[in-house]
Amino acid sequence: MTKTILNFILLAITLVLAQAVVFNHLILFNCAIALVFIYIIIILPLEASTNMLLTIGFLIGLIIDIFSDTAGLNSLSCTILSFLRNPIYHLYSPRDEEISGQRPSIKTMGNTSFMKYALTMSLIYCSIVFTIESVSLFNTVRLLTRIGGSTLFTFIMIYAFDSLSLSRREKKL
Amino acid sequence: MREIINYFIRNSKWLLFVFYITLSCLMLFQSNPYQHHLYMTSASAVASTVYSLSSNITSYFNLRENNEDLNRRNADLQAEVLAMREQLEKYQDSEQELSPIIPDSLRHYRFIVARVINNSVIRPHNYVTINRGSNSGIRPEMGVIDQNGVVGVVNVVGPNSARIISLLNPNFRLSCKIKNNETFGSLVWDGKDPKYAVLEELPRHTVYKKGDTIVTSGYSAVFPPGIPVGLVESDNSSHNENFFSLKIKLLSDFSTLNNVQVVINNYADEIKSVEESTAKEENENKPTSSNQ
Repeated sequence: MTKTILNFILLAITLVLAQAVVFNHLILFNCAIALVFIYIIIILPLEASTNMLLTIGFLIGLIIDIFSDTAGLNSLSCTILSFLRNPIYHLYSPRDEEISGQRPSIKTMGNTSFMKYALTMSLIYCSIVFTIESVSLFNTVRLLTRIGGSTLFTFIMIYAFDSLSLSRREKKL
Repeated sequence: MREIINYFIRNSKWLLFVFYITLSCLMLFQSNPYQHHLYMTSASAVASTVYSLSSNITSYFNLRENNEDLNRRNADLQAEVLAMREQLEKYQDSEQELSPIIPDSLRHYRFIVARVINNSVIRPHNYVTINRGSNSGIRPEMGVIDQNGVVGVVNVVGPNSARIISLLNPNFRLSCKIKNNETFGSLVWDGKDPKYAVLEELPRHTVYKKGDTIVTSGYSAVFPPGIPVGLVESDNSSHNENFFSLKIKLLSDFSTLNNVQVVINNYADEIKSVEESTAKEENENKPTSSNQ
């Protein structure tokens, strides 16, 4: 249990740093940006209570806000996303298959379900962030391209991360 | 009593949700960037340490372009110095006396060189973080330039780091004029392309050509007059209004910012205190004039 928590904290730190140092500066076609830190919220264990989810989500958003000078923006979006996490998960995964200690991944959900789940989460997060961000300077076409491009980019990165951890686990076995 | 507690426990997730949302919204809608707390910005100790570590590596990436810019700027300045020296000699010949050399302490502006450790161009409100802070004499509301032109204005200062409101931020308006023309307007970013900004509030009779240089006006104590900002790209609006705006191509390339200079105005405090005392006097005079 302690090992899982430590692993999780390590992963969270790595992803937040990667977001701040690398992915915030990696802009494709002047519109798409990968928000990889939502992978932390995506893979939080299923047995975690909603209160726990909300707190972790809010804190991660706050740290990202501090690093990227977007006071309140990511903490607001992360709180909403972690509140919606469980309902979205149950949308694609039948409720009766739950085993304790399980976390959403390609291995536990199957490839197609995980793809749908990750894509929905990315789409929701990018929609919230870019809509709030563009309230002051509204431009529909730019907003939609940013949401579309960033959702795809984020989804691809998240899928890649999960595939990587999958292949690493298979090697161990 | 017990029922109330039970009620709260039962609905704790909703209460927590609302609490976090309120907290985030409070931070989000604090629209004045000068009120942001140091710990909540990229100039905070932890964030700036991480960024300076990573910039130790990435600062080498654009060295070639930066070097070219510097060489070009150096050549321009060299030409300017030669021209000025020639002019000075001409005046000295005609007046037959040496003009007194201004001592360093009385010079109007000083520059502190700093390195950019974090930077964004894609967001609607962009900020730049640099690796110098109050320990190097940097204070809020100082101007920042690079070898090509204006970058922004300092807004939150930590001991060894500072956050700058980039020119690519709608909260920042810069008073500019068309070079050799003296008509002035205010430059603001429209949030679309990091290469272009808009020069607004120009009088309708303004004469301009495509490619004219836009420089700082020097009407504020932040920037010295004559710092280049951009080139006129095209006309932006219909001529029906009393004022019109121009699309400006910015000279600084914000995506490859590396080294910047913070402008320290030695007279800034003096100007500010004069302005404040004038405002105070006006306020004090108001009630007496109304009594009369």
